[in-house]
Amino acid sequence: MLELLDWLDRPSVLHGLHLVGSLTLFVIGLYGLLGKRHLLKILMSLALMELAVNLLFIALATTSGETAPILSDGLTAFTGMADPVPQALILTAIVIGMAVLALGVSLAIRYHRLSASADIRALADAQD
Amino acid sequence: MEFSASPIWFIALPMLAAFSSPLWVRWRVLDQLLLGIPLGLLLLALGLFATVQQAPLIETIVIAPPLGIHLHLDSAALLLVALFCFAVTLVAAFLWHGATETHLRGRQPFVLILLLLAGGNGLVLTGDLFNLYVFLEIAGISAYVLTAVRDDRPALAAGLKYLIIGSVAGVFFLLAVVLIYLQTGQLNMAAVAQAFAEIPPAMQGLIAVLALIGLGIKSELFPFNFWVPDVYRGSDPAITALFSGLLVKAFLFVLVHLAVLIWIDPEIARIWLMTLGALTLMVAELAALRQDEMRRMLAYSSLGQIGLILLAFGFLHESTAAGAFFHLISHTLAKLLLFLVAALLLRRVLSLHLDALTGAGRVYPLTVGLFVVGALCILGLPPLSGFMSKLWILQGFAAAQTFWPIALILVAALIEAGYYFRWIRVLYAPAAASAVTDSKTSKTAPESWATYAPLLLLVGLMLLLGIAPFVIEGALVDAARALLDRDLLIQSVLGVAAQ
Amino acid sequence: MSQRQRVPLRKRVRVKTLLLTLLSAWLLALFLTLLLGQARDWPTATVGDALLTRNAETASANAVTSVVVSYRGFDTLGEVTVLFLAATGIGLLFSAPRPRSELSAAESESTPAPPNEMMITGVRLLFPVLVLFGVYIVLHGHLSPGGGFQGGVVIATAFLLRMLADPNFRLDHVRLGWLEALSGSGFVLLGLIGLILTTTATFLGNFLPHPVASLGQLVSAGVIPLIYALVGVKVGAEVGAIFQDMREAA
Repeated sequence: MLELLDWLDRPSVLHGLHLVGSLTLFVIGLYGLLGKRHLLKILMSLALMELAVNLLFIALATTSGETAPILSDGLTAFTGMADPVPQALILTAIVIGMAVLALGVSLAIRYHRLSASADIRALADAQD
Repeated sequence: MEFSASPIWFIALPMLAAFSSPLWVRWRVLDQLLLGIPLGLLLLALGLFATVQQAPLIETIVIAPPLGIHLHLDSAALLLVALFCFAVTLVAAFLWHGATETHLRGRQPFVLILLLLAGGNGLVLTGDLFNLYVFLEIAGISAYVLTAVRDDRPALAAGLKYLIIGSVAGVFFLLAVVLIYLQTGQLNMAAVAQAFAEIPPAMQGLIAVLALIGLGIKSELFPFNFWVPDVYRGSDPAITALFSGLLVKAFLFVLVHLAVLIWIDPEIARIWLMTLGALTLMVAELAALRQDEMRRMLAYSSLGQIGLILLAFGFLHESTAAGAFFHLISHTLAKLLLFLVAALLLRRVLSLHLDALTGAGRVYPLTVGLFVVGALCILGLPPLSGFMSKLWILQGFAAAQTFWPIALILVAALIEAGYYFRWIRVLYAPAAASAVTDSKTSKTAPESWATYAPLLLLVGLMLLLGIAPFVIEGALVDAARALLDRDLLIQSVLGVAAQ
Repeated sequence: MSQRQRVPLRKRVRVKTLLLTLLSAWLLALFLTLLLGQARDWPTATVGDALLTRNAETASANAVTSVVVSYRGFDTLGEVTVLFLAATGIGLLFSAPRPRSELSAAESESTPAPPNEMMITGVRLLFPVLVLFGVYIVLHGHLSPGGGFQGGVVIATAFLLRMLADPNFRLDHVRLGWLEALSGSGFVLLGLIGLILTTTATFLGNFLPHPVASLGQLVSAGVIPLIYALVGVKVGAEVGAIFQDMREAA
């Protein structure tokens, strides 16, 4: 049992698992984006893809044993800590993703009000 | 304390003005500021040309590259920034006197247009990959909202479509940036350029494809540009003028810049860029032949010109790149004119469909006359700048003994002549002139001369650049050199770090 | 009879779904083989590690905060701009004057049930605690996990709960607009002061004294907590405005 845990803790195994998980999420999002017709489902798929990218970055940028890059709980030097840049970047990416999602949902609501349709195909044939 | 003419102003000033917009609403200076800020930045940019010619201006933010973010103002970036400020100034001047489009007046459009400018400038200036992603989203979101700003059904549909496709592009580009950081540990473009060769080739390919999908969608290249005509059709022509004149040019520049900088093997980059450019050119021009709606036709024509510019940039040769910069400027002038003419027509007619416009040239001689000038500039007829810019590109290819792009460009010009002359013929047809007058005369009074002033300025510039291209020749050649000289850029950025 | 019940083959096997599934699976396999097989190991020397070793210069105990607000503060300015744009766009879509017919249709569509007693009492208890918690997170951004974005969202959530519990509670759009304007332009102006002062001479430079000795105290790290507080106000006001707009539209 312990051996299994040790094996799971090895960076290559851990990163591999994170990679499989987040890429699966990414592809599920891509599938929803291409295959679904409801606008809200499409926006959800977009959010899923974004979150998958964020997860991938955070998961691969840290290895087990590193602490959060904050001086507290008796830590006095910035050594043996996780890389702070990916965390800062993902914080930015999350906020941007949220902003786009909120805007997209609002547009979809307005569009639904005006056209009583939430089908992506209705957008496709919006001709003259 | 000192005042420094740093590139940061091109981004910080529009942001500051946009953030403090409630104050301007209270003081009733929105219109003045919307015109004044881009005009001031344009003057600043013109003043910087001499400085930048000697050495690129590098503005570090907080910590020197490669650790932090920096802005990189070289001749190529400065040329584009000046062009963007000019485009926004012109559209602002046009909107000031066009009181009919109420949805384009007021606080929100003011904020959106200024932040679109900030986003475009940031895209061109930034030297950091993640910062590039942030500016991509700033420019993107302001474009989505500007598309939907009219708040009726076609505008909302266009805005939604733009938002979905644009966010997909954003996700793909973000994934490329994440993979680059995971592989090299760098975000600064120059540092990434140095470290990129050490990545395994398969990963290089994956990163390049992801970034190409992201930027290809944003810069409206062929396999990824099916959505463009719908968006251009749904939004206001005055806004579309900004998309075609500012936004696409910024993304196109970023694409070429990254390809030159990061992709080590110029042969492969050349094949990819030129193929994409040639495909975009031909497919868009052929599609434009069949369009019966003015905005759609202009959208396809714009796509074709984007393809032509990419074809010339993608050759990665100084002479064609200078021609490409020239054509980029000339196309911005012409498309601003054409889309603003479309906006003028739309104030008076209900539809921009080909049938509805029959004989419009006899009712509105000046407006339609300006349309003809813009169309001739796109076609490349001699006294106008479009002729000189196409000539430069052709000369560049001829000097390098590469002839297939020349044939392609000439065929494309023939197709362009086909559809633009079809439109001009219908506009001046004697037939149903009564139909046009009926729908309009009741609607608005004739426009004042102030409305036409920006359009006439555009015509004047086209003539000036067509007759005397040597005015900007030095700037264009400098820009081409700055864009293509990878080693110089890396050295100038990382040299600062070594101080 | 049986003829009518028979579903055509192409409807039983959804070709499009099948193709999409296959495409997705193929992409996943491609990604995985590339990333698992070809990727280099996580490089030892990254920009982040270099920044970590120099982090003591900022006198901020939280290295992520010094990256977010100082080293990559320009990204954060862009991020705040994105949020501002989204809030502006949503306000534009939902607060424009509506034709009467559309308005009445929207109102008949949604007649929200009045909030129950548990909700009202619970929110009355929770509201001050949540606001206090949000302010704490904002102000301690340079010392502990948290900061302007997280704290701002917590404060906005407190106001969202107020809206849910009290149908008559409204956030004043004009006042929110001024808050946004003040905090946003404050951020840019702090950056410009850093640019103009010769001691720092870079945009967003840390021009206030930030001695390393004070690391870990509430008043430390110079301009960083100031900027993060402005970000907190801006995020709170914007997310609050988004909630308010969406509620009015519902």
